[in-house]
Amino acid sequence: MALEHVAQGQTRFFTPGVAPDPRGILLGRYCLMTFATLEGAVSWFRLYSSEASLDELLANLSIVKCRTALGSREIVVQIPAVSSYAADRSARLARLVGGAIYTGTSKHFVKYRDDRSPFGYDAVDIGAMPAGNDFMVHGDEFAQGYIREGELGFARLLFRLSIRKLPGGDRLGPDDRGELYLAVARGLADGIIRYLWRNRVEAQAGLFTPGSSSAFDDQVRDRGYMLIHVHGLPERILALFLGTPGIDVFRAAGANAAVAVGYEHPIDLASCASVFSPETFHVFWPNDRVDVLPGPLTLSDISDLTRVDLELDRPKDPQQHTGGPAESIGVELKLAASMGPPRRVVATLIPVAHGSRLKRILFALPPVSLRGHRVAATDRGILVIGSENLDVIPLGQLMYELAPGLLVPLGMDVVPRVSPEVLARALGHSAGLVTVFTTEGHPFQVSEGSFATLERRSLAKLEVDRAESVDYAADVSAEAQVVNDAVGRFALWGFPDAPDRKLLPPGEK
Amino acid sequence: MPKAHVRDFLTAFVKPLVGGGELHVGAPIPLAEVERWEGELDNASVELVAVDDARHAVLSTLVCRPPAFVLEGDELCLAAGLHNALFLVHPRAELWSFSDKQRRKIIETALALVSQPLSRNRTRVMARHALLNNLFHLSRNDTTVSWWTGRARFQGQKPPPRLTAWKGMRRVREEVTVVDFDELLAVPDTAPVIATLLRRTPLTQLLDSHPGAPPLHWEDAVFLLRDSELARAIAYRLVPDTGHREQVVGPARLAAAFEQMLERAPDEADVRAVAAFLVHLNALFCLGELNLREAGAKSPLISTVLSAEAAGQRPRGLATLFALPGALSLVDPRLSIPPGIESLPALAKRWMVHRQQTAELLSDAVVDALAQRLKRHLKPESRRDPSEVIALPNS
Repeated sequence: MALEHVAQGQTRFFTPGVAPDPRGILLGRYCLMTFATLEGAVSWFRLYSSEASLDELLANLSIVKCRTALGSREIVVQIPAVSSYAADRSARLARLVGGAIYTGTSKHFVKYRDDRSPFGYDAVDIGAMPAGNDFMVHGDEFAQGYIREGELGFARLLFRLSIRKLPGGDRLGPDDRGELYLAVARGLADGIIRYLWRNRVEAQAGLFTPGSSSAFDDQVRDRGYMLIHVHGLPERILALFLGTPGIDVFRAAGANAAVAVGYEHPIDLASCASVFSPETFHVFWPNDRVDVLPGPLTLSDISDLTRVDLELDRPKDPQQHTGGPAESIGVELKLAASMGPPRRVVATLIPVAHGSRLKRILFALPPVSLRGHRVAATDRGILVIGSENLDVIPLGQLMYELAPGLLVPLGMDVVPRVSPEVLARALGHSAGLVTVFTTEGHPFQVSEGSFATLERRSLAKLEVDRAESVDYAADVSAEAQVVNDAVGRFALWGFPDAPDRKLLPPGEK
Repeated sequence: MPKAHVRDFLTAFVKPLVGGGELHVGAPIPLAEVERWEGELDNASVELVAVDDARHAVLSTLVCRPPAFVLEGDELCLAAGLHNALFLVHPRAELWSFSDKQRRKIIETALALVSQPLSRNRTRVMARHALLNNLFHLSRNDTTVSWWTGRARFQGQKPPPRLTAWKGMRRVREEVTVVDFDELLAVPDTAPVIATLLRRTPLTQLLDSHPGAPPLHWEDAVFLLRDSELARAIAYRLVPDTGHREQVVGPARLAAAFEQMLERAPDEADVRAVAAFLVHLNALFCLGELNLREAGAKSPLISTVLSAEAAGQRPRGLATLFALPGALSLVDPRLSIPPGIESLPALAKRWMVHRQQTAELLSDAVVDALAQRLKRHLKPESRRDPSEVIALPNS
């Protein structure tokens, strides 16, 4: 048995039912994968579903148990060859899990392309198929006939697989917690609904009874439970529910299935959504339990399900109330002696009359003490604000800072004791303003712009002349460029002869 | 047509010649007109002052206090002669209607105008240099206009707008080429005029030159070396702070002129003055290398310009320039070392390095040949060294 490498552009092949695809790769209508065991096939489904959608293959997918002429059994998975890209993926994954892949249309399947022959293989000597064989595969060194023994439905395989516990799978991220289902035992349903409603969790709930086809089920006993579809379940509530008996949490896997949180189905259920009928909703429980609920799920909002207390014997008639202007509850702000510990002095308000004393102090103070202080002269006094403790100036009313820019006399407090933010809003105080409370009169405000540094303010204005720099560098002379003027046709008209004077030797001048 | 006034000539030609700008070259100027202009100079004080100010600005980079001078008749004649020489390359002078006789007339008139007496007066020499300082840098923009059906060349003239209109549609292309001294004043017609003119301004020839310019005649210029301020200015201008090859171009030119001088019969004092000046230039090369990282390192300048690989690219006179101290040490050792060099030990060390390196790179034959030529001019029994102190006999 020999296989030939397919050449680029080759259009005629010995193998029946194959043709080159647009990339020139030999491809039949189907791909056939052979696995020694069912686990190999399941591993292939598992890998494929995690990479691509199985839905596009499900229409013509078949899983067949086959027997060879020698009696060995193999699992053959036949998928439609939708494109050479899908076939490439299938081939890669089949080789990964120890299977082999072939392509063909009806009875003869030839080895799919690999690295050695990028355009595929063609079986050159296809003879008559031995009697009793259903189909044949042609490999590098062999041709193998298969006899079908039985077919295994994909849906059946899917529901026979047990969901597996994921380590750390019950710690869900915010995105995973977006759509969750709670299966709540009937007795807990009221409490859970009330709990969710109190915690403002958006949810819909419905009561379901799993379908059963067994005649041995206890029809009298109600096996139903409350299914609650919750959105954005907080992490703490999820942890609470996961630890509460009678409450099971499920994560949506596609539109018509849900898997218990902390578990995972071997095959990605979202990639084979077409297996699930739209009239059903499959709930995959731990311990191989699969509940089939009637779908699509019709749920009601839990805000309408909360308990209603009705007292019909004491009717309450609505009372009439008349509106009116709100009464003022404002309290006048006052300064009161403070009982608290002394605060840090940050400013002082010196009466204008004491300006001369301030001047004398400024002369006496070292420059280090003056640094960082700012001063503003206002009609209410000279306000000096320091960056550090300002007790070096023993003049005027010392002040501390209640809030940034809000100055209150030392030893006084503002009553009523509202928060500084409220006080600032009431006073119209904002950034860029300094509001000063005084013991006499109303508080006043000074803009930050009117403050000057004390060092600068302590000097009188000096007259300084600005000297202009003079450039004594010689100018770079421009380039001398000859420009020929128009001289007219008779420029040389009457040009005299040169005088006949001896040129050499010229005398000294 | 009214005759042009001298103030037009001063404005349109003389002032741009001194300070840069557009030099307007018109019809050639007859001698009689220049003589008339000399009389009109008194009536053109504004233009005259502008020209003299520009000349002062030129000299201000050369000497500390430029002397006072006023444009006089001989300088007017030099400028008019240059104007007539430039007319010889005017497009009008290249037409068929411009006969050889007319051309000769203009050349002779230009020669007559520039044949002013030579001058050794410091002020006059500086004034003439200030007037002609741009002589080697005159240039002209020639525009070639080509369009879909033809082309035209405009030498120093603007193409008329009718030829440059509708550029896209007529596929007009303008190419501007810059024409310099070579094609303006070194052509056969103008060369004799310029050679005569340059002898009248030796300072310009010492300070500046052009490959196409006539060579320097040291006998006309040596008197400038006896003026210490001008000699220093010339030396500093000749050794610019640029690349090595550019640094030696000016000194090599003067050394080449010195070679020519030795072929003639110059005065011995002149030969000594020029030789001492060239030795001084050698000392300036040493001075420029005082800040080398290694004091005893070989000179990069000499390695570059005297290397055997660059022998074919050496400018004329370069070997003479560097061989001169060695040759003078054989003929008259007093001239071979610049006076006072020992007072600066670092400079003296560099001087020794330069001399050793020069001796390695130039063969002894070059030095000996130069020494033989110098011996013909420098008498072995020379006059007394003025620096020697004569001990008066005790009476």
